[in-house]
Amino acid sequence: MEMIDRYVHAVTQRLPEQQREDIRKELYGLIEDMLEEESPLSDPAPEAVEKVLLQLGHPSAMAAKYRGHDRYLISPVMFESYLSTLKIVLLAILLAMTVVFVIESIVEPSAILDYFTGYLVSLFSTGSQGFLWVTVAFALIDYGIRKKYAGSGELTKKWSPADLPPIPDPKSQIKLAEPVAGIIFTILFTIIFMFGSDLIGVYAHRNDTWHLITLMNPDVIGKYLPFIAILGILAVLKETYKIITRRRTGTLLAIHIGFSLVSLVFAGILLNTSGFWNPDFLSQLQAIGFAPQAGEDYEVIKTVWLTVTNNLFFFIALITVIDIISEIYKFYRVKLPVGEVISK
Amino acid sequence: MADVAETIQGILSELRRGTIIIGVLSQLSEPQYGYSLVTVLEDKGMTIEPGTLYPLLRRLEKQLLLKSSWDTNEARPRKYYALTAFGREVYEGLCREWNVLTVSMQNIMDQDGG
Repeated sequence: MEMIDRYVHAVTQRLPEQQREDIRKELYGLIEDMLEEESPLSDPAPEAVEKVLLQLGHPSAMAAKYRGHDRYLISPVMFESYLSTLKIVLLAILLAMTVVFVIESIVEPSAILDYFTGYLVSLFSTGSQGFLWVTVAFALIDYGIRKKYAGSGELTKKWSPADLPPIPDPKSQIKLAEPVAGIIFTILFTIIFMFGSDLIGVYAHRNDTWHLITLMNPDVIGKYLPFIAILGILAVLKETYKIITRRRTGTLLAIHIGFSLVSLVFAGILLNTSGFWNPDFLSQLQAIGFAPQAGEDYEVIKTVWLTVTNNLFFFIALITVIDIISEIYKFYRVKLPVGEVISK
Repeated sequence: MADVAETIQGILSELRRGTIIIGVLSQLSEPQYGYSLVTVLEDKGMTIEPGTLYPLLRRLEKQLLLKSSWDTNEARPRKYYALTAFGREVYEGLCREWNVLTVSMQNIMDQDGG
């Protein structure tokens, strides 16, 4: 009976490997018993088989009963946050890629077709990456939560009403706009750095064409691409964590400080790599007539260029420190009663 | 307007779900295979879909209330289930609880009615 085989297969393939054989035999036995009841004397007619299988119900419903629980990669509780994060990430990728593509096409209009192909290809590959990482992150968080509840038996063990978490202070709440903006900027920044570092520079319109003098050396940045990508992904994960918790917690503060320090160290390494800045920046400026050949004006431009390139790291460090202090303040402002903050 | 019969059916199926376990345990002092259990329970007025019973038997076995063995002597190999000592104890406990439950339910409904 081919249809019975197909039914049993459809049920068992949805079940864990080690149970399949046993359930398969059991199901065959059951179906034969049911058929015998339908038509005790003759060989079962196809209509009888159909009737019996209909009575047993949809294979996936049957398999679900055998499993005893539904299985999710991302459970319904998390699905809403998952979907919104996914939308934000994919939109940000689209936006960033489009920015890179538009600038590339303006700088070199003749190669627009090549750029367009590249745009589509990288849109697809980066989009897949974004999809993958968001899904992996949510699946892991979801798994962690399920494990926590199942493992420690938190739902079954005794609890006292004193254990109830306090109602979150409205000040400790994170507005959704914050992580959303965070994700969009992170992705914009990361993608432009990865795919368009040669597009960051001085744009000058001379003789009906656009000249571009890059600030940085794409070859040096190229060596650091994996690290830039990893930092970008970590930053998006951090913002995703904010979307899920929507609250300033100690863990979040620790993650934020850790991540800021790692980024700062990376920025330090990157900026100190010899040849990071375009070594011919000044002479290229002169070549298109954007800077004077010599004289006091040139010396001023040169000083500015050297000061900025040599001290950018300290500027970034300063911003990082200010940001960390402000995050710590925001966190403790909620922890301590208002009076205590003022008296300190 | 919700259909009275439909609503009753919905609540009733929830009520039955727990009683099915007692029904199944009650019939398994002697080993039985799944489909014979369906017919036996049917004869006694308890309808249970085979698609519900078979997974339930496995679950009860996993909870150590039942033990199973394959009988391959007959033309058709069949899996027989029977109560374990633990299962018997649980069943007896359940029966006591059930009796208490029916008495108090009866009281509740009598009071309500009169």
